[in-house]
Amino acid sequence: MLLPDHQYVTTNSLKECLRLLAESREKAMVVGGGTDVIFNMRLKLFQPDVAVSIRKLDELQQVEELTNGGLRIGAGARLADLAEHPAINDRYPAFAESVRAVASTHIRNMATLGGNICLHTRCAYTNNSEEWRKGLNSCFKTEGKICHVIQTSSRCLAINNADTPLALIILGAVLTLQSAGGSREVPIAEFYTNDGMDNTVLRPDELLTHITIPPVSDRTAFLKLAPRQGMDFATVAVAARCDGTGEKVSKVSIVVGSISTNPIILHEPSRIVSEQGLGDEAISAAVDSIRDELGPLTNLFSRASYKRQMANVLVRRVLVALRES
Amino acid sequence: MAKHMMTLTVNGDVYELMVSDNQTLLDVIRDTIRLKGTKRGCTTGACGVCCVNNAKGEAVLSCITHALEWDGESITTIEGLEANGELDAIQKAFIEFGAVQCGFCTPGVIMSAKAIVNKYPEPTEEQMNAGLAGVLCRCTGHVKVKEAVRQDHELREAARHAAAK
Repeated sequence: MLLPDHQYVTTNSLKECLRLLAESREKAMVVGGGTDVIFNMRLKLFQPDVAVSIRKLDELQQVEELTNGGLRIGAGARLADLAEHPAINDRYPAFAESVRAVASTHIRNMATLGGNICLHTRCAYTNNSEEWRKGLNSCFKTEGKICHVIQTSSRCLAINNADTPLALIILGAVLTLQSAGGSREVPIAEFYTNDGMDNTVLRPDELLTHITIPPVSDRTAFLKLAPRQGMDFATVAVAARCDGTGEKVSKVSIVVGSISTNPIILHEPSRIVSEQGLGDEAISAAVDSIRDELGPLTNLFSRASYKRQMANVLVRRVLVALRES
Repeated sequence: MAKHMMTLTVNGDVYELMVSDNQTLLDVIRDTIRLKGTKRGCTTGACGVCCVNNAKGEAVLSCITHALEWDGESITTIEGLEANGELDAIQKAFIEFGAVQCGFCTPGVIMSAKAIVNKYPEPTEEQMNAGLAGVLCRCTGHVKVKEAVRQDHELREAARHAAAK
């Protein structure tokens, strides 16, 4: 079974790659490990005219240790390599954990960090074959005008299922987006939109080239719940960070993923534990306040009610993990 | 579809191939080189039966990667494990422990198992679970497979001792 017709181009320099993206714009699609792009091509959700390979671009595969104690990671670095990278495990254990949580060993041996950050959204309707989808009318992703997840929605509500961005958000990572016309730096917390169709601010002529993580000495934790551990997309995943020791904290941040079109930064629960510390009562109060900040969504493999319940469980666990770290 | 010349080393044999843009590595292995051991399953990266080993001996999925991406690279498929008519230790262990039922997933499972022992000659439970999670057996399960993976090291050591005598 061949892939849909398209042109495949290997680029040998970043400049050449950016020029090609500038020329082809929407018609091109960047291929790193291929695990997301080719999956979507099989389902006919991506139909690029040109697949632009960045695999030969060595400058995008390096992990550079910065003098300030941070790291600058090439977007083309393989997840399998990052998962075992000593500096990453040493400096950013929650990030290393999130890398190991992505899909399976097989996929991590191919997939790149940039690919996980730019992962296309998933949903229970579109993530089926074209034949299966014919049973229902087209949705936003398949040139229709409705969303089968919530019919009254005016936008696509497919879910962002990526694991690594959650850890990168709490670490304050910054993404470098390059185009033939120049380069810009975007904090990863501002990278995602709430539209499942066009879920990042990356322009078609831009390439995510580097991920810069500042030095962080705070405590961090990452947890993922999935139907099958070691394979599936998350039902819910959560990353959290705090300063201090034990129950004593003054600044806590919590991000929840796989629950909406974009990672959700929880403000009220973070405020509660930041003010009251990580005691059992404060954690319970924080968990009770989650509901107001999670949107009304459902998705792949699990119901909204289950996801909501599990988001509560994971946030509680992650705060306890922070307290005990 | 435009075709391009590429070189691919499969099981030590060098192939000069004419490959189209829309062929995956799996298409080339099965339909161009005609090595049918590597199976076509879900073709979306979910089932793992198309697993082959890359030059580093790691498990990769041939169904979700452009064939042209592999120009100049070297891979091992299930056919490449036996040497001089003798099965690899991991294959013998699979036979001994009956880690096979209908056999469809077996090439993918064995190549995944091979990747585990390539990296960890005596794998822990966790390492085995992680290495096998991405490949699904439709009929039996992973218990016998793990028994076979555990046996691989012993068979290899026994063969080494026998050769030394």
